[in-house]
Amino acid sequence: MSVSAQARNTEEPAGSAPDLKVVPSRPIVVAVAGNPNAGKSTLINAIAGSRLHVGNWPGVTVEKKEAGFVFEGRPVRLVDLPGTYSLSPYSQEEIVARDYLVSARPDLILNVVDATNLERNLYLSVQLLELGIPLVMALNIFDEVEAKGYRIDMLTIEKQLGVRVVPTAATRKSGLDDLMREILATADNAGARIPRMPDYGPETGAALESALEVLREIHPALLARYPEQWLSLKLLERDPDVLKATNLPPQGRFGEISAEVERAKGADMETLMAESRYRLVAGLTREVLKTPDVRKADITEKIDRIVLNRFLGIPIFLAAMWLMFKLTFDVSSPFADWMDAMTAGPFQRWSAAILGAVGAPDWTLSLVNDGIIAGVGFVLVFVPVIFAMMFFITFLEGSGYMARAAFVMDRAMHAIGLHGKSFIPMLLSFGCNVPGIYATRTLENPRDKALTALLLPMMSCGARLPVYVLFAGIFFAEHSGTVIWSLYVMGIALAMVMGMVFKRTLFRGEAPMFIMELPPYRMPSMRSLCLHTWEKGKHFLIKAGTYILAVSVFVWFLLNLPWGVTHKQDSYLGRTGQATAPVFAPLGFGNWEAASSLLTGVIAKEIVVGTMGEIYAPGRAEEASDEPVPSLSEDLAGIAVGFGEAIRGAAHNVVSTFGVSSLAAQDEEPANSPLKTAVGGAFSPLSAYAFMAFVLLYMPCVVVAIAMRQEFGGWKWFGVAFAYQTALAWGVALLIYQAGSLLGLGG
Amino acid sequence: MSDLARLKTGEKGRITAIGALGPMKRRLMDMGVLVGETVQVVKVAPLGDPIEIRVKSYSLSLRKQEATQIAVEILK
Repeated sequence: MSVSAQARNTEEPAGSAPDLKVVPSRPIVVAVAGNPNAGKSTLINAIAGSRLHVGNWPGVTVEKKEAGFVFEGRPVRLVDLPGTYSLSPYSQEEIVARDYLVSARPDLILNVVDATNLERNLYLSVQLLELGIPLVMALNIFDEVEAKGYRIDMLTIEKQLGVRVVPTAATRKSGLDDLMREILATADNAGARIPRMPDYGPETGAALESALEVLREIHPALLARYPEQWLSLKLLERDPDVLKATNLPPQGRFGEISAEVERAKGADMETLMAESRYRLVAGLTREVLKTPDVRKADITEKIDRIVLNRFLGIPIFLAAMWLMFKLTFDVSSPFADWMDAMTAGPFQRWSAAILGAVGAPDWTLSLVNDGIIAGVGFVLVFVPVIFAMMFFITFLEGSGYMARAAFVMDRAMHAIGLHGKSFIPMLLSFGCNVPGIYATRTLENPRDKALTALLLPMMSCGARLPVYVLFAGIFFAEHSGTVIWSLYVMGIALAMVMGMVFKRTLFRGEAPMFIMELPPYRMPSMRSLCLHTWEKGKHFLIKAGTYILAVSVFVWFLLNLPWGVTHKQDSYLGRTGQATAPVFAPLGFGNWEAASSLLTGVIAKEIVVGTMGEIYAPGRAEEASDEPVPSLSEDLAGIAVGFGEAIRGAAHNVVSTFGVSSLAAQDEEPANSPLKTAVGGAFSPLSAYAFMAFVLLYMPCVVVAIAMRQEFGGWKWFGVAFAYQTALAWGVALLIYQAGSLLGLGG
Repeated sequence: MSDLARLKTGEKGRITAIGALGPMKRRLMDMGVLVGETVQVVKVAPLGDPIEIRVKSYSLSLRKQEATQIAVEILK
């Protein structure tokens, strides 16, 4: 299948682009465009591998991937555009893709087409051709085309559209060199390969010509800024973004031209254009695509018969979700424990040894160990779970099951204003809200995504469990299980209520949609999966890590300033606790100890227990150890052994998925510990329950805040979450305590 | 005359009009749901909504509420 491509290369006159050869350092900029599920990511990964750089498009949170490399001595830069079905200006992804193509004017477009779904994919291709940028088409997933017995007449596509076509199979890395050579050849002959406007029939052609004349006459400056054919077309379509950018009214000369065509045809210009494009594409597809006469049910239909079955669909979905949840948290937790042990043990000992050797003052040791290293450790324990979650989410999306999961769950989730795809972020949130927030990226619609992120902190995460375990253990000994269960249910119920409230307030008037492709099932390549997981994990580590570390150091200062503070009560944190305590008085826990614990719990909710330990039972944490201090080599050996054990532990957890383990709640307080006695004296059962409800509901922790900022490109949605959750927490705790007191449960 | 939400599983129809407006209409067009197109209802989700249809030889899902805005004539 590479013969035609090579034959063509020899047709090109050698050295026809002298300017490019003189300045070889200027890379050829290739914009990669295609439908979602066309294998674009896999193709780019296969070409560029680890040279990919992942970031965001400026101003939006749409992911931007770029890769620079040298192919056969020529520097190339690939810019991955968001996967879209069209270039209309109605979604963030489409706007990003279009703006880049129009304003940055890449040297050429690499259009990745799912060859098994030619017609719908070509709809985007003709829109790309309208831009007048040289285009090379990769007929991707060509291995499946051959397996299905389809035949595609590539020469006719080339002739009719005026582009070069290369068959590829990215998962098998086949056709990639041919593709790259065709890209170079096209770049070298760019002038001769500017595509003409696709032929949309005489009426459209005439209207376009009139529009272009008006442009030449009245707005010549605009023609320098935009591809002229494209601009004429968009003005006729009354494209809102183009009208805004060019400062032209929707009526005017162009409006008149459109109106004339619309009167004759009885439909609006936008619809007429869409129909014209599809007519062209349908005609072309009929001409070039030959499918076998007898169509067998393909593997996707066979799987869907079971997976989407009326009776089996939901049980299979729930089983898949349960498996994903267990795998995400069980596989990651041994590694999280290992990282935790590494930072808490050897790292702190080493820093103590180094600082001791250089004679640094004691407070620096505390800052380094309790502030910086503890902060690093705090970031690191999240890394395994983020990696595991990204891996499974990428697998679900790449395999095609994610869309089915949304299909199965949409009815239930839609009832509270959410999307079928909201279920997975919500579910993950029971383990930890942070991967939940990152998992919202699977939702395309910004409205659904924001609403999901707002509601998911109400899912009680693993970090809240130690608080419940401590309090329920003290005050509700025999019924502690029921009490803890009631808190989980409370979170879910309130999320449903808030979902209804938000649907009618913040998100009123925004029409949600569920018009979604159910892509064919495909096995994602392991390489692509790992690369994707690594990119995401790295992103978290760098971006979120920096913030978390800063917050950790800040809290250390709060706890240790003013200088020389000996009692926690006198530190800035303790003083803030004292100042805020009255706010909690009507809720039944208006003491500074509780207030301070809640303040530090903002970092992570399980810290509430740690702070209480330090305040109520000081000195316990600094118990002198009689064990000999391990040497450096022993520490290093310990780390290596620990990693080995983590792998074994993860493997063990995969095998026995029934093993109970979670991110937190591992160390239980011994009965009658000083902490339990102190807490038992400071709270009543009623105020303890109000306190637990408060911990469940009040503001999401700092890491969630950072994740929300990262995913939404600003603090806005975190601000909303912070405000409503804290208000809700206060209100619910108040209701519990006051109503309980009235009912005589206060004692 | 009927609408897409009223087709039974396995039934085919030809689209005669699209009542949706704005972004939803545009989205439907981008996904190949246009007047004159033949669509087939393939499946209904286990909870009764959304539905899966086959259009332009690929599978698309949409909510019944969205499907009611697509008028079809049933094809035998």
